[in-house]
Amino acid sequence: MKRPSEKEKSMRIIHTLKVKNDLGLHTRPATVIVRILQSFRSAVYFTYQRETVNARSIMSILMLAVGKNCSLTITVEGEDAESVLKELVSAFETKFGEKK
Amino acid sequence: MYLVQNLYDQYGKYLDLELIAGESGMHRSIKKPEVHRPGLSLAGYRKSLPTARILVFGKVEISYIRELDPTSRLDRLKTVLTSATPAVIIARYYRPPKELVMICQENGIPLFRASMSATTLLSKITFILLEEFSPSVTMHGTLVEVFGVGVLIQGESSVGKSEAALGLLERGHRLISDDVVKVKKREGSYLVGSGPELTRHLMEIRGIGIINVAHLYGAVCVRPDKGLDIVIKLEEWDDRHFYDRVGLEEKFCDILGISIPFHILPVKPGRDVVLLIETIALNHRLKDMGYHSAKEFNVKLLETIAKRQEKRVAAKR
Repeated sequence: MKRPSEKEKSMRIIHTLKVKNDLGLHTRPATVIVRILQSFRSAVYFTYQRETVNARSIMSILMLAVGKNCSLTITVEGEDAESVLKELVSAFETKFGEKK
Repeated sequence: MYLVQNLYDQYGKYLDLELIAGESGMHRSIKKPEVHRPGLSLAGYRKSLPTARILVFGKVEISYIRELDPTSRLDRLKTVLTSATPAVIIARYYRPPKELVMICQENGIPLFRASMSATTLLSKITFILLEEFSPSVTMHGTLVEVFGVGVLIQGESSVGKSEAALGLLERGHRLISDDVVKVKKREGSYLVGSGPELTRHLMEIRGIGIINVAHLYGAVCVRPDKGLDIVIKLEEWDDRHFYDRVGLEEKFCDILGISIPFHILPVKPGRDVVLLIETIALNHRLKDMGYHSAKEFNVKLLETIAKRQEKRVAAKR
C-alpha cells in the first residue's frame, strides 16, 4: 500500500450537519450514508451527545438515534476528505431521498 | 456533568425517592461520587466538612435534630447544608424537621425521602455514582466471550468481525455487542464492555442485514456485559508484514490507561478465523494459569542446548 504523504495525512475536516428528514437517522438513511462512504477511503466519525462512532458501521449510526433537527458533528480524515464531506452534505440536504 | 435531575430520572424509582422540597435545585451538579452521613458535623464539629456530597439523614441524625432547641437546630443545619450540597435524602420515610424543609426550599437544595435505611441508601447510591463517574469510551469492534475470556475483535470495516463473531456463536460462545462497544473502567483497575441499549444483541451481516442474535440462537448465546481481557485485531494479510511466529514477545494496547494483551491476526482465505480466535482465548487462559507455551518451550530448548554442549565438551576430553 502507498504511504500517505504529509499533505494527505493532515487533511482533516470537522463539520456540523443538521438532520432534516422527519424520521431522523433511522435504518434507511444509515444505509445511504454507509453506501456513500464505501467508495471513499477517508476515516469518518460522527459525534452526537458526547458519543463518537465510526460512520462506516450501520449499527453505530443507529445507536446514536439522532432525531430531526439535531446537529451532528462529522469528522473526516484522509486524502478524499473534501469529496466525502460534499457527498454527505448533499445526502443530508436531500433528506436521504425521503419525501418528508 | 451529572445532575441531581439525572440521578432522579434514572434511579428515582429504584431508590424509591420522593421529592419533598427544593425542586428549583434539580439542576445542581453532583461533583463527587460520594455520599455522606452528616452525624459529626450536625453535632457541631466543623473542621474538614465534606461539602460537595449528597447528604443522607438516617435515624440518628433525625432524632438528634429533634432533640436540639429550634435556634441551634437552624444554625447546625445551615452549616451542614452549603451551596455545594447537591441533594439531601432522608431515610426510612422519616418526617423531615420543618427547619430542614425550609432551608432546602429557600436555597434550592433538592430534599428527598426514601423508604430504605440509611446504610442501604449509602451503599446503593455510592455504587450508582461510581458507575456513572467511571471513565468510559465507545469503541469500534465486536465483543464476544470465548471460553470465558472477554475478546474484543477489532479491525477495518468489512474485514469480517461480525462474521467471525457469528461463527463463534455457532460454536457456543457468547455475544456481548457487535460493532459498538462501550468500555468502562471499573474501580480504576479493570475494563468492562457492554452494548448500547438500543442495538443490544443486534448484528449487521453483509448480504443478510440486521439480525437479532438473542432471538435466532437463544438467550444462552448472549450476555449484557463482560470484562475485557484481550484485543484481537483482524487485518488483511500483508505479505511484507512479519507476523508473530513464536509468541515470545507479548504486545499490549492501552484502553483508558489500562494495558490489555493485544494480538494482530492476519486474515486470508483458508485461515479459519473462528478457530484461531478460540485458540488465542484458550492460550490466554493457559497464560493466566501460569503456563506460557512459547516461554516454557524456549526454556526447555535452552536446557537441551546446554546439555548437548556439556556432552560435546565431555567427549572432547
